[in-house]
Amino acid sequence: MLTEVKNQIRVMALSTKYSLMREMLNKVTFISNVFFMILNNASFIIQWLILFSLKEDLGGFTLKEVILLWGVAASTFGISRFFFSSAFKLSDTITNGKLDAFLVLPKDVLLSVITTDVSVSALGDMIYGYIMLIVYGITVENFITFTILTICGGLIVVSISVIFSSLSFYIVKADLVSDTANSLMTNFATYPDTIFKGITKMILYTIVPVGISVYLPVRTIIKFNVYNFFIIVVLCIVLMTIAYMVFNRGLKKYSSSNLMISRV
Amino acid sequence: MRKYLFIFKSEVMSNLQYITNISISFIGIFLMLYIFLNLWKFIYSDPNELINGYSYNQMIWYVIFTEVIWSVVGGRKMCAKISEDVKAGNIAYNINKPYSYIGYCLSTNLGLCAVRAMLYIVLGLLIGLLFLHSFPSISILEAIAVFISFVFAIVISILMLTSIGLLSFFIEDSGPLYWMYSKFILVLGTIFPIEFFPMWARGILKYSPLNAVNYGPATLYVNFSWNSFILVIISQIVYLFIIYMICKLIYMKGVKRLNVNGG
Repeated sequence: MLTEVKNQIRVMALSTKYSLMREMLNKVTFISNVFFMILNNASFIIQWLILFSLKEDLGGFTLKEVILLWGVAASTFGISRFFFSSAFKLSDTITNGKLDAFLVLPKDVLLSVITTDVSVSALGDMIYGYIMLIVYGITVENFITFTILTICGGLIVVSISVIFSSLSFYIVKADLVSDTANSLMTNFATYPDTIFKGITKMILYTIVPVGISVYLPVRTIIKFNVYNFFIIVVLCIVLMTIAYMVFNRGLKKYSSSNLMISRV
Repeated sequence: MRKYLFIFKSEVMSNLQYITNISISFIGIFLMLYIFLNLWKFIYSDPNELINGYSYNQMIWYVIFTEVIWSVVGGRKMCAKISEDVKAGNIAYNINKPYSYIGYCLSTNLGLCAVRAMLYIVLGLLIGLLFLHSFPSISILEAIAVFISFVFAIVISILMLTSIGLLSFFIEDSGPLYWMYSKFILVLGTIFPIEFFPMWARGILKYSPLNAVNYGPATLYVNFSWNSFILVIISQIVYLFIIYMICKLIYMKGVKRLNVNGG
């Protein structure tokens, strides 16, 4: 069992490594993708400078906390998109019968599918996250907390995408549901949760758990709380397990007409 | 001109077949508008308060209008398509046809934008009505003037995106340039009007393309005056000319570098 897990992790690492090497063939494009993504994220500072010139405090969030929020959101997004980029195309993979190529592999289908590609620009997001942590005020403690919690956040984002994309095993237009869920996870992550109230806030901590992947980690980094830390880690494991089970249950329903594709 | 009109009509007919998909893509716009509604509600402690000359209702209508322009153009896919045409060599199939490639891009994309505009304007107005329970006070003649400015904004945006896409002749991937362009438009013109920026920046921004592609038409909608209309239209005509010339220059220089193997 342990050897199997080790092998699977090794295959995932190799898949990521070779995808990255492929992307690095054109060095100028690779560097410009990473650099411009950092610049792209940084442009939002202007938006927040303007907003904080109108109101100094957004429900307990000042510019300093928003910088950390952006750091956590960018890093979470970066980890999910860099290592598991294909999880966000899973709906299309299922609907168009592209799973066939993975079914014949002697490794876990879900893990093989979602680690088949990397998004270079997401590397820029990950770097930007740490730049924001430095701007916020980096310490050894918050660096470790930031790293662990953004990895958990990234895995939560991937799990949510897998869960909603797995609906494609049952319904045709499930890509609309998964795309909407992914948009919600991304768009809401960069705004403080204090501006949302009532049912919106409830949704953000349940169906679309941006609260668990971004808001709670931000609070935990600002003021470390073992209880919050534990909740995030446990919920991450729970969501990953649910995603794995939902996908594999759906996989039993999968059928295709033997699509011929080449994976280069 | 007739051939471009024909391409435009064909594109409208083709996109009308996917009207459900286009309508559903409005969910993303709705989500963004919902976030901004909450954000501005938090900032405006009193709905009658004026911040930099804008009331809460004007602010929300401004954001709805600029978001609708942004979504009607849908720049990311448009830019990626042109960039891919250049990179993959598909552009070779277009350049030997009896039309200008820029004219072709403009008419095809205008066809898609026309269908999106029909839907998104109606949905945008409905969302505004749902959130604010009122429309900005504007006469029919003024609404027509705003619509003219809206059309100009769409045409200029398409030409700008075509220019960025065509830069793939020189750099392999124009995607990062598109990100910068999109942030320039979103951060400096979509989320709030130019009046929210420091005084020194306002002058620069007022003469930037923002006035032509979103700020100008949106301020006309929330606070119409014929004087502003004339100024916005003049700036749009000037920018239309400048961007078209830039686009043509990039194409003429770039197409000489084109090297397509086989096909």
